[in-house]
Amino acid sequence: MSAVLSTSGVSVSFGAVRALSEVDLEVREGQLVGLIGPNGAGKTTFIDAVTGFVPARGDIRLRDRDISGLPPHRRARLGLGRTWQTIELFDDLSVRENLAVAAQRSTLASGLGEVFLGLWHGEEQVAEDALDLLDLRHDADRMPSELPQGRRKLVGVARALAARPRLLLLDEPAAGLDSHESAELGERLRRVVDAGLPALLVDHDMSLVLGICDYVYVLDFGKLIARGTPEEVRNDPEVRAAYLGGSTADMASTADMASTDMLVTMPGSEATER
Amino acid sequence: MVLSPIVAFALIGLGSGGLIAGIGLGVVLSYRGGGVINLSAGVLAMLSGFCYWALDTGYFGITFPTGWAITLTIVFALVVGVVFEFGVVRPLRGQPPLAKLTATLGFFVSAQAAVVLGFGEEARPQPPILPSGIVSILGYTVPVSSFWIAGIVLAVTLLFVGAFRWSRFGLGTRAAAENEAYATLYGLSPNGLSLANTLLMSLAMGLVGLLGASIAEVDSSTLPLMIVPALAAATFGSLNSFTVTYIAGMLIGMAESVLIFFSSQSWFPTNGIGNPLPGVQELMIFVVLVVAMFFRAGKIPGRGDIVERRLPPAPRPRAPLKAAMKWVPLCAFLMWALPFGFREGLITSLIAAVSLLSLVVITGFVGQLSIVQLALAGVAGFTVSHFFINFGIGFPWAAIIGVLLATVVGLISGFPALRVRGVSLVVLTLAAAVAIENFGFTNSTWGASVTGSLVPAPSLFGFNFGPNASFHGIDGAEPSPLFGWFCLVVLTVIALWVCNLRRSRLGQEMLAVRANERAAAASGVNVRNVKLIGFAIAAAIAGVSGVLLAYSYGSITADSYDTLVAISLIAFIYICGITTVPGAIQGGLIYTGGLLAYAILDWFGLQGNWLNLLVGFLVIASLVLRPEGGATYLFYRSKRPASEVTS
Amino acid sequence: MSETVLSVDELSAGYDQADVVRRLDLRVDVGEVVALFGPNGAGKTTTLRAISGIVKPSHGTIRYLGKDLSRLSPTVRARAGIAHVPEGRGIFFGLTVAEHMRLGYRGETVDPEQAYSYFPALAPLRDRRAGFLSGGEQQMLAVARNLVRRPRLLLLDELSLGLAPVLVEQLLPVVRQYALDNGCGVLLVEQHVQLAIEVADRCYVLSHGDVVLHETSERLRSDPDILVASYLGQRRRSGEEAAL
Ligand SMILES: Nc1ncnc2c1ncn2[C@@H]1O[C@H](COP(=O)(O)OP(=O)(O)OP(=O)(O)O)[C@@H](O)[C@H]1O
Ligand SMILES: Nc1ncnc2c1ncn2[C@@H]1O[C@H](COP(=O)(O)OP(=O)(O)O)[C@@H](O)[C@H]1O
Ligand SMILES: [Mg+2]
Ligand SMILES: [Mg+2]
Repeated sequence: MSAVLSTSGVSVSFGAVRALSEVDLEVREGQLVGLIGPNGAGKTTFIDAVTGFVPARGDIRLRDRDISGLPPHRRARLGLGRTWQTIELFDDLSVRENLAVAAQRSTLASGLGEVFLGLWHGEEQVAEDALDLLDLRHDADRMPSELPQGRRKLVGVARALAARPRLLLLDEPAAGLDSHESAELGERLRRVVDAGLPALLVDHDMSLVLGICDYVYVLDFGKLIARGTPEEVRNDPEVRAAYLGGSTADMASTADMASTDMLVTMPGSEATER
Repeated sequence: MVLSPIVAFALIGLGSGGLIAGIGLGVVLSYRGGGVINLSAGVLAMLSGFCYWALDTGYFGITFPTGWAITLTIVFALVVGVVFEFGVVRPLRGQPPLAKLTATLGFFVSAQAAVVLGFGEEARPQPPILPSGIVSILGYTVPVSSFWIAGIVLAVTLLFVGAFRWSRFGLGTRAAAENEAYATLYGLSPNGLSLANTLLMSLAMGLVGLLGASIAEVDSSTLPLMIVPALAAATFGSLNSFTVTYIAGMLIGMAESVLIFFSSQSWFPTNGIGNPLPGVQELMIFVVLVVAMFFRAGKIPGRGDIVERRLPPAPRPRAPLKAAMKWVPLCAFLMWALPFGFREGLITSLIAAVSLLSLVVITGFVGQLSIVQLALAGVAGFTVSHFFINFGIGFPWAAIIGVLLATVVGLISGFPALRVRGVSLVVLTLAAAVAIENFGFTNSTWGASVTGSLVPAPSLFGFNFGPNASFHGIDGAEPSPLFGWFCLVVLTVIALWVCNLRRSRLGQEMLAVRANERAAAASGVNVRNVKLIGFAIAAAIAGVSGVLLAYSYGSITADSYDTLVAISLIAFIYICGITTVPGAIQGGLIYTGGLLAYAILDWFGLQGNWLNLLVGFLVIASLVLRPEGGATYLFYRSKRPASEVTS
Repeated sequence: MSETVLSVDELSAGYDQADVVRRLDLRVDVGEVVALFGPNGAGKTTTLRAISGIVKPSHGTIRYLGKDLSRLSPTVRARAGIAHVPEGRGIFFGLTVAEHMRLGYRGETVDPEQAYSYFPALAPLRDRRAGFLSGGEQQMLAVARNLVRRPRLLLLDELSLGLAPVLVEQLLPVVRQYALDNGCGVLLVEQHVQLAIEVADRCYVLSHGDVVLHETSERLRSDPDILVASYLGQRRRSGEEAAL
C-alpha cells in the first residue's frame, strides 16, 4: 500500500517554544490513523503544519508530491481536507452555504464568468451528500452559532468532506458528543475511510480512537513516543503513564466499550442504516 | 548650522504634536474601553474648548474667573462624556466596529453643527491658560506653551499607562472589550468599565480642548479634524499602546512643523506653478503607516488572534430583475417629470448609489473596511477632466481610461489589506484617502485648483447627453433628463451585476473570506486573490461613480471627493445596509444633496447646519434601532443573528 | 436535611424562536456533585446559561441559597458566588495565563499557586497568551481559574472537553473532593458518563429539553440498565420525530 501522507522530520517552533520536533508519520491508502497525546503535545500543531497554517521545517509529502512550500489553499486544492479544534465555521453563512463554499472550485476565469453570465446556481451534490452522511439535514438552513457545540464540530467535518479531499485530517471531531453519538460518528468515519478516503484522527475519546483506527501514533512534548496498532499502544506502559491513565485504558478496552457498543448496536445503527 | 532651524521648527511642533497625541490617547481609550473607533474625539475636545471660552469671556452673560472656568469646563467634559456613553457607546455595545464608527461620525456631525449654530463659524481667540512667553533657541523663537503641552500630555500618557498596566481596571477593561458575556461571568461589570473608560476619555479630551486654546484659537474644525493624524498616531500603537501613540503623535506634529519649514526652501519640489508641492506630509504618514502595519500582521490570522465582531449578514438577493422592472421605469418617468431641483437630487442619488455599491462589494461582501473608495472615484473623475484638457480626449475613451486607472489604484490600495485587517484597515485606507486627496487632487497639475477643473459633457457621435443637453424635462429646465437616464442605466446595470456577484461562486468565496480567513484558506479559497479581485471590482465601480459625478458637475474640485464626504458615505450606507444592493440604493436616496435631502430643503426649508444637526442625530438613532441596516431589515426581514454568547 | 444551594423550578428557557428547555426542575445541595447528561442539543448548555444569567428564562424560578435570582444580572450572580465555565471556555485570548489569575472584580483575590496546583501543566505556561494555548490547556485554565474563585455554586459545561483521559480521570475526584471541602454545589455537564457517575451524587438525563431521568449515582452504578433505558427512550423519541 502506498503512502498518501508521509512526513519526515517535521519540526515547529514558536519563538522559544518547541511545539514539534522531528515527527515522522505516515498515512496509507485505506487507513484510518489515530494521533493521540497529552494536552499541548503538538497534535493540532502537526495538523497546522501539514495544512500550511504554521511554518514548519521538514518534509511533507502528499502522494509523493512535496507540498511543504505551498500556501494553505493550494494544499487544500491538492486534496488536504481538515477540521479545526476551534471549529472555525463561516459564521455568517448557513450550514448549507458553509458546505457549498468548500464544495466549489472556482478559478479566476470561471468566477468572473459566472458573475457576468450567471451560470452557477449553487446546487452542489457533494454538499448534500455530506449533509446526509452526518445527519445534518435538519440543521442545513440554520446558522452555525445557533447549533450546540457538538453539532458545530460535525458541520466542520461535513464541510471538509464536501471539498472531496483525498486525505482527511480531523481535530477532535467528537468533542462535545456523548459516548454513543461519538461511537456513531466513528462508525460513519470508518465507512468513509473504507470507501477510499484515508484519514488522520486526533481525539481524546479513547473508545473512539482505539476502537476504529488501524494504526495509532502517540505524541508527547512534540515527539513521537509510540506507534502501533491500537492494542499495542494501549498496552504501552509509557503511553499509559503519560496519557491514558490506569483505569481509562482498562475501561476503554472493557467496560466503556461494552456499554457504548450496546448503545450503538441497539438504537444508533438503526438510525444510520435508514 | 543647517540643523538649527530644523530643531527649532521641530520644537515649535511640540505644541500641535501634543494635541495630536492627546486626541490619539482619546482614540486609544475609546477603542480599548469599548472597541469604538472614536472619530469624535477631536470634537469632544473642541466642545470643551468652546465651553471654556464662553465661560471665561462671558459669552453667556456671566464671566467666570479662570480657575472656575477650568473647573466648570472639566465638569462639562464629564457631562458630555456621560451623554456620549449613554447615547452612543452603550446602545451600540456588541455591534460591529463599523456601526460604532458610524455612530461617532453621527455625533461628530451633530456636535459640530450645534457649535456652529451656537457660536458661529469664525474662530474665537481664546484667553490662554498656559504661560504665553517665548524662549529663544538657536536664534529662533519658540513659544513656551509648546513645552507645557508636550509635558502635560506626557504626564497624562504615563498616568494611563500606569492605570492600565498595574490596576485591575486595565485588565478588566481588556477582558470586557474582548468578550463581554464572559467578563460578566467573572463578576466584572462591562457597563461600569465602559462608563469609566468613556469618562476618562472625555476628561482627557476636555484637557486637550483647554490646552488647544493656548496655541490656537478655538473654532469648529481645527480640533475635530486633528482626528486624522491622531488616528494615524493611535494606529502606530495598534490602537492599544498609549506610549507609542504619544510618541507617534509628537513625531507627526513635529514633522508637520518641519515640513512647513522645508516647503519654504528653494529645493522643495513645487507643483509646476511655483507653489510647494502639497500633500507631502499626508503621503509620508500613509507610507510610514503601511510599512509599520504590513510587517506586524501575518498573511492569514494565526491561532488565538482575536477576531472582530462580524458585519450584518449578507442575504442573497431575491428576484432582482423583477424589482428592477418595477423601479426603473418609475425612476425614468420621475426623471422627466420632476422639477429641476428634485431632478438634480435624483441624479445625485443615483450617482451616490453607484459609489455606495462599491462599498457593498468591498465591505459588505469581502469584509474589508475601506474609506479609500471615494478617492478612487476622484482618480477617475480627474482623469476624465485632464484627458480632455491635456489631450482633448472625451467620452467614452476618457471615461474608460479613468475607470481603468481607478481600478489599478484600487488594486494597489488592496495590497496592504492582505495583511492588515479590521479597524486598522479603516485607518490605513483613511490615510490613503487623505494622501490621495492632498497629494493628488489639490495639486493643480494633476488635480484642480480651488476654481475647479473643467469636465466636458459626455457625447457620443456628436450626440450630447450631458446635464446640459438640449432635451429638457417637463419643466423645461436643466439638468437634462437624458443625463439622468444615462445614470439610471449605469446604476441598474451595476446593481444587477452586484446582485449576480452575490449569487456567484466568487461572491460566496468573498463571504467566506469575510467570515473566516483561516477556514476559507483551508477550504481551498485563495484568500489573497479574492481580496484583490474584490478591491479591483469595488474600485472599478467607484471609478464609474467618479466619472458620473464629474460629468454631472461639469467641473470638479478636490472637495467633490473629500475625505469627510467619503466617511459620510460610509455612514449613509451603513445605516441603510452595507451588505445589500437595496441598502446602497436607499443610501443614495437619503444621501446629502440627494432626493430626500432636497425634498426636506424644499418642503421644510431645513438646510446647512440644522440639517446636519438632524442627520447626525438620525444616524445614531437609526443605528440604535436597526443596527443591521434599514434595507436589510425591510427587504430581508430574517431571524435576528444569534446572540453573542455562543461565539 | 442538607442545605440547598440551587433549586430550579419549572424552568423554561430558549432563544429567539422557541424554548429549548421546558419546565425543568433541578436541585443542587451544599457539597453535592450533580451531573447533567444528555445528547447534543438536549439543552444542557442552555440550562447552565439560564442559571448564570446569560440567557433569560421565559418561565420558572431559579433560587440560589434561598434567594430568587430572576432580577439579578449575570455580574451580580457571579459576585454572589456562582461560577460558570461556559461552552467555549470563557477565557480571554488577549490575556496571559497569569493575567487571568489577577482578573476579577473589586475585593476578589485568588491564589494563583493554588490554581497551578490543580493543573501543574499550567505553571510553566503562565506568561503565555491564552489564545496561544492548546485546546486542552485552555480548558485547564478555565477550570482552574473558576476553582480558585471559591464559589458556592460551580457550573461546569463539558468539564472534560478536550482534556487527556489521564487528566479527566484525576480531575473528577478532585472536583468531588473540592465540593466536600468547600461546601460548594457542583453542577456538571459531562460526556464521560461512566467516569462521572463514579463521582457524582445524583444525575439528571436531559433529552429534548425534558428531564427523562433523575436518579442517584449509586443506583446507576449498581444498575447500568436504567441509564441505557433512558437513552433508549430518547432515541425512540427522536426516531418518532424524524418519522413525522
Ligand atoms: N502561536 C503559538 N505561540 C506560542 N505557543 C504556541 C503557539 N501555538 C501553540 N503553542 C504551544 O504549542 C504546544 C502544542 O500545542 P497544540 O495545540 O498542538 O497541542 P495539542 O496536542 O493539540 O493539545 P490539545 O490536546 O490540548 O489540543 C502547546 O503547549 C501550545 O501552548
Ligand atoms: N444561540 C442560540 N440561538 C438559537 N438556538 C440555539 C442557540 N444555542 C443553542 N440553541 C439551540 O438550543 C438547543 C439546545 O442547545 P444546547 O443547550 O447548546 O444543547 P447541549 O448543551 O445540551 O448540547 C439546540 O437545539 C440548539 O440548536
Ligand atoms: Mg489540539
Ligand atoms: Mg452544550
